[in-house]
Amino acid sequence: PLCVSPAADPAVISPQDPTLLIGSSLVATCTVSPDFPLKAEDLYWTLNGRRLPAASYAALGPSTLSVALARLNGSRQQSGDNLVCHSRDGGILAGSCLYVGLPPEKPVNITCWSKNMKDLTCKWAPGTEGETFLHTNYTLKYKRRWYGQDNTCQEYHTAGTYSCHIPKDLALFTPYEIWVEASNRLGVAVSDVVMLDILDVVTTDPPSDVHVSRVGDLEDQLSVRWSSPPALKDFLFQAKYQIQYRVEDSSEWKVVDDVGNQTSCRLAGLRPGTVYFVQVRCNPFSIYGSKKVGIWSDWSNPTAASTPRSERAAGGCDPKGGEQNTTLRRELKQFFGWVKKHAYGCSNLGIKLYDQWRVWLQKSHKTRNQVGKEP
Amino acid sequence: SPTGDSWGIFTFLCAALCNLPALPALNCSEELGAGQSIQQTYDLTRYLEHQLRTLAGTYLNYLGPPFNEPDFNPPRMARAERVPSATVDLDLWRGLTDNARLAANYRAYSRLLCYLRVLDGQVGTAELRHRLAHFCASLQGLVLSIGGVMSSLGYPLPAGPAGPPAPPGAHAAPNDFLKKMDDFWLLKELQTWLWRSAKDFNRLKKKVPPAVVTLRLEARGF
Repeated sequence: PLCVSPAADPAVISPQDPTLLIGSSLVATCTVSPDFPLKAEDLYWTLNGRRLPAASYAALGPSTLSVALARLNGSRQQSGDNLVCHSRDGGILAGSCLYVGLPPEKPVNITCWSKNMKDLTCKWAPGTEGETFLHTNYTLKYKRRWYGQDNTCQEYHTAGTYSCHIPKDLALFTPYEIWVEASNRLGVAVSDVVMLDILDVVTTDPPSDVHVSRVGDLEDQLSVRWSSPPALKDFLFQAKYQIQYRVEDSSEWKVVDDVGNQTSCRLAGLRPGTVYFVQVRCNPFSIYGSKKVGIWSDWSNPTAASTPRSERAAGGCDPKGGEQNTTLRRELKQFFGWVKKHAYGCSNLGIKLYDQWRVWLQKSHKTRNQVGKEP
Repeated sequence: SPTGDSWGIFTFLCAALCNLPALPALNCSEELGAGQSIQQTYDLTRYLEHQLRTLAGTYLNYLGPPFNEPDFNPPRMARAERVPSATVDLDLWRGLTDNARLAANYRAYSRLLCYLRVLDGQVGTAELRHRLAHFCASLQGLVLSIGGVMSSLGYPLPAGPAGPPAPPGAHAAPNDFLKKMDDFWLLKELQTWLWRSAKDFNRLKKKVPPAVVTLRLEARGF
């Protein structure tokens, strides 16, 4: 095949894509290629789309124009500031990306947890309160104290931006040293080393099979039952549990703290004829006799149930029974799941939208009942 | 292959019948398959067009001014010719056979997908990487969808690029600013292609169904 030489770039900028500290100054030059009939006086500069004042230009040769930039601010975008050399009619001849910023600061607040003693996830916070203005890379490293080489964590962003997940090959009953290195174009910073034993930071899955049911005809009580998380059943540990519950259209959770080691609990003092959402979580403390408190699991998926309605007619009652509501909810959830899979453009449809509609419905019911109705 | 007047009449009758709305006795679901997947492909291009608007907005803001200015129109450097161009002479476009029309789309999106994936590996912010990954997945779906339409119409899929794949850094821009220009043109071409594909598939929608029914019945060996 015929070899076609690539068209020469119209001009060359120097320096090309430099990295600079905030507050530094820079003199850049634009030299037009000999194939192009342009002179220094035919050129002008822009930085991030804004024309730079001619007072800062200087012609260094017949086809070379320079520009002086003083006391540079941090880059407007992490991809670099766009310094562009133009011909008189606005055409772009060449460009250079300026990376202006600060070196990183030591990452801080490293916290880690292990799911069922099988893995380790750590998160941290960047040291800088302000910005470095440059893209900063974080690397989590770990090693067994006293022996072993440094290992590098590979799976990032598993629990937020500044997090990493170590999925395997972790030893128990041995302290680990963990630290985070931050690096950008201007330098490197290393966090303090954190020392921990996997057994001291264990968490587990939320309790399974959470069931909430009525207690006979009692209007103000619900009974909650659950199973201890299966993953840790072979290990010696005591579990603590916590329950939280809220009324359907409220966002305030009530927490029951002193559940201890049991797998059932009765909630009392509830409102009759109301739908409640209940969640349970677990803390596997004292694994293998470790004295430290473990880490609370995530909350179980909310389970809904309703207290029986009292015989007195309360104002503004939803005519449908509470149990019918939970079946309806369940069906709707399944329907929306199906819709999401099989139809494009319906992604906003979902159980959350239905819940919002219910809240709106109850609110509008209340106002309707208040206006113009006799007590 | 079967020949004869009775066969021709039978085929014609079936074609006419299958175009009626509800016909439970004759299992027309596969025969209408190509028509349905053309519609789906058309819908997918509209969806991608919509997704691209958000992605391009975010990405151009990441590149910074002047790339995100509405009237930005940089020179199309010779190196940008690697990205397949959607613009084509109108008469040429009208005269394309179904096979050529589909093949042009298939080839273009396969190449564009390649370039987009390279982009994904280099881009800075987590939000952008996430959006890009999502878009690439949808674009992959479009390529598969077009391939499906071609197969159901009996057309062979276009062959991949000849020769061994170029090493990763082979076509990389020589500096960061030129790379930003490449990225800008990649997004522009994607936009133009999606706009053009909607018209391509609209055209195909009107032409395909009757011919497909006949083809399918013959393949069944009636």
